[in-house]
Amino acid sequence: MRATKILERLLAALPIMLGVAVLVFLFMRLTPGDPVDIMMGQGGAVSPGEMAQLRSEFHLDEPLHIQLGYFLGDLLRGDLGYSYVQKRAVAELIGERLPATIEMALGALFFALLVSFPIGIISAVRQNSPVDRLSMAGAFVGISMPEFWFGILLILLFAVQLGWLPVSGRIAHGTGLQEITGLYVLDSLLTGNRVALVSSLKHLVLPSVTLGAGAAAVLARVLRSSLIETLRTDYVTLARAKGASENRVVLKHALRNALIPTVTVVGLQIGSLLGGNMIVETVFSWPGLGRLVVNAIFGRDFPLIQGAVMIYALTFVVANLIVDVLYTYLNPKITL
Amino acid sequence: MSHLPTLLRTVLVMVLLATTALACAGPAPTPAPASAPAPVQESATAESVAAEAQPAGRQLLVVAMPSAPTSIDPADHRNRESETVIRNMFDGLVTRDTESGVHMELATAINWLDDQTLEIKLREGVKFHDGSAMTADDVVFTFERIIKENAIEFPEAHTSPRKGLIAPLVSVEKQDDTTVIMHFSGPWPVALQMLVHQQILPKAYLEKVGTEGFLKNPIGAGPFKFVSAKGMDEFVMARYDDYHGGAPDLEPVGPACVDEVVFRAIPEASTRVAALLAGEVDIIQGVPADLADTLAGSEGVQIKTGPGTRPLWMELNVNLAPFDDVKVRQALNYAVDKDLLVEMLYGGRAVVLPGVLSPYNNYADPDLKPYPYDKDKASALLKEAGWDDANNDGTLDKDGRPFAFVIDTQEVTRQIAEAVASQLRDVGIEASVRIWEYSVILPKLLAGERQAYVGDWGDSAFDPVGHMEAKWHGYVQGESYGRGNFSTYDNPRVNELIVAGETQADPEARKKVYYEAQQILHEEAPAVFLLLPEVIEAARDRVVGWTPAADGRVNLHDVCVK
Repeated sequence: MRATKILERLLAALPIMLGVAVLVFLFMRLTPGDPVDIMMGQGGAVSPGEMAQLRSEFHLDEPLHIQLGYFLGDLLRGDLGYSYVQKRAVAELIGERLPATIEMALGALFFALLVSFPIGIISAVRQNSPVDRLSMAGAFVGISMPEFWFGILLILLFAVQLGWLPVSGRIAHGTGLQEITGLYVLDSLLTGNRVALVSSLKHLVLPSVTLGAGAAAVLARVLRSSLIETLRTDYVTLARAKGASENRVVLKHALRNALIPTVTVVGLQIGSLLGGNMIVETVFSWPGLGRLVVNAIFGRDFPLIQGAVMIYALTFVVANLIVDVLYTYLNPKITL
Repeated sequence: MSHLPTLLRTVLVMVLLATTALACAGPAPTPAPASAPAPVQESATAESVAAEAQPAGRQLLVVAMPSAPTSIDPADHRNRESETVIRNMFDGLVTRDTESGVHMELATAINWLDDQTLEIKLREGVKFHDGSAMTADDVVFTFERIIKENAIEFPEAHTSPRKGLIAPLVSVEKQDDTTVIMHFSGPWPVALQMLVHQQILPKAYLEKVGTEGFLKNPIGAGPFKFVSAKGMDEFVMARYDDYHGGAPDLEPVGPACVDEVVFRAIPEASTRVAALLAGEVDIIQGVPADLADTLAGSEGVQIKTGPGTRPLWMELNVNLAPFDDVKVRQALNYAVDKDLLVEMLYGGRAVVLPGVLSPYNNYADPDLKPYPYDKDKASALLKEAGWDDANNDGTLDKDGRPFAFVIDTQEVTRQIAEAVASQLRDVGIEASVRIWEYSVILPKLLAGERQAYVGDWGDSAFDPVGHMEAKWHGYVQGESYGRGNFSTYDNPRVNELIVAGETQADPEARKKVYYEAQQILHEEAPAVFLLLPEVIEAARDRVVGWTPAADGRVNLHDVCVK
């Protein structure tokens, strides 16, 4: 039953992706800025008719509905088109960079969960204690801090001054890593490459911390407040009255229910971790999708933007689906 | 509450475990099992595993660029970074040295048979990275692939975007194995300069594997051969031992010095600088002026500047009040203290523009001097134009309206625009700055809707062609003329001169033509001529033989590592 429901939800993702792509298609073409003007750049000679020729190659000189027709037709054949600027298939460009973005998002999520859970739990249990106040102040800083500043600060401290961690990139040169999934940590585990594993983990630390700090702060606060609320409910009082140890009460009974709002927020965070990491990717030269898309937007590289947006729509659907499935495990009364 | 310690303990153990897990990924040296490559030694200076793990003497050089190339195909890009990487793997008929101009590379002699026909004699004994010999067939193939419509078949048939750079080339033919003849549509004085930017491809190899195969494993005749690439963000190359030596006039001649070279893209300037300081990269391009002094004072790092190629102006819309009066435009040129801008914003690493052209341009008029800073002269000119502070509020006015205008610019030039605005306030002009995205402001500027724009335009050929017709010729839709003309300046005499310069073969006659054009433009001042920032690059002390090139090229053939 659950399996069919999951499949249904995944299939529903297709019209969503399509709708989003068409919207972006229309908005980009109605926005000022011509891809060919930008490509020709500032400087250098342009031959007569060259710009007109490029426009016709990209069908930019045709009416909007004709262009939409070309786009949908290609899409039906599974062709996402090719980038105006990089002259390579959009699917290939996205495929190359998506694993990097996913790896960093997972790293950030891992860091966020690692940090927010202990802090959220301790703060809730020891409400209004110095530990609680300190953690919440820290959370406040974590949410307000600009990623750009924090990232560079971490680089200066840990990479330049102390030399413990690398400055940028995903992995050192010369590790001989064979890529299977594109997730370097996973690939080094799968191929048993110890050198690559260490290198990829080291490169993952600072970007994950930078990106995850904001998410950690939000999650800590949400977990704390939902746990405080849960600890006040009747069934928790009953559990205590039954003689269960406080450990058991908090971690087994209360936490499970406190997790429901928290998991919702995690789902939203996944979306923003995957989509909003352009800044962190730029600071750490992480070859991910965020940077690719922003450059595409500045260059009005329409096919690349459309393809990337469809992928983002898909990830949101999948992330929310995972969250919904998790609900059913946390609270059996909830069905998909 | 006695139960709390247990809870606390559990949670603390969780945190401890997690931190230990992270620490295992930290700096402890771990001896690797016998099956893996040599042990990883942690050192603060060498980020690259290869530098430690490979046999002594294998030299690696890492270069960090501000953005990634868009293509590795010499015929399929229009981007400086692409050209930088490409020119280390591919050679052209000619090359350029910043100081001394154009030199022979794959060609040995180039002569004009008449003013439309060029004869090129090719070097013998040149080998591509697959060992095959270069002949006239390769040269013909390379250029036909650029100029023929839809000659590049992957991913979809399209025309080379570099065709426009050699637009007058009509046809190329082989005369014999070492001679090629090029036919042009008319006299083209900058032919050699423009040929510097096209590189020769191996015909047989490309026809065999197609463009798709070529992009996966490019083969050229340059000092380095392709080893691997990670998307467009990282390129690894190794020295090609059978390299023909390079331009015979330019030392050093012979194979490259270092064994292996890596080009990486690090877009964020502070990260690039941090990478250099941490020893992760050896050479960085694009050092921002404000970080230059920090680097100059740092240990283990050397910093160099070179002639810039992006002059900056504040263009004034000559068809809209108040800038439709030449006196006002000249007054603004006197009112801006450019030396102060150079000193304060660029730490002295910039040159004041005497006129429209960069002073490094081969055809810059040496007699033109920059407008000096003279507030009194500025006020006097403004007064002559009818601008006076009638109501004594600190701002000039005319017919009851204050002298206020908006300076449009992009984020990257915000600082200089704001500096200019504040200097103008000193003479009673209310200037404010508005930041735009280039693609949004461009159509407005070309339509003549805006008042003033601070921006730059590339001048990397050191020749007025590619620059003057784009910037100072009247705008012609669909053509190259005026496509960067943001002052809407359209002077028939200047237009005439610019067009004449394009086809005038005799350098002396060209000088006359361009000098006259520059003088008119200097007088008419369709812009406030600001400055030309120098190119700033930095490298580790162990790097020798490296000089920043004006066109951003990183010529690793000449570079050695101590």
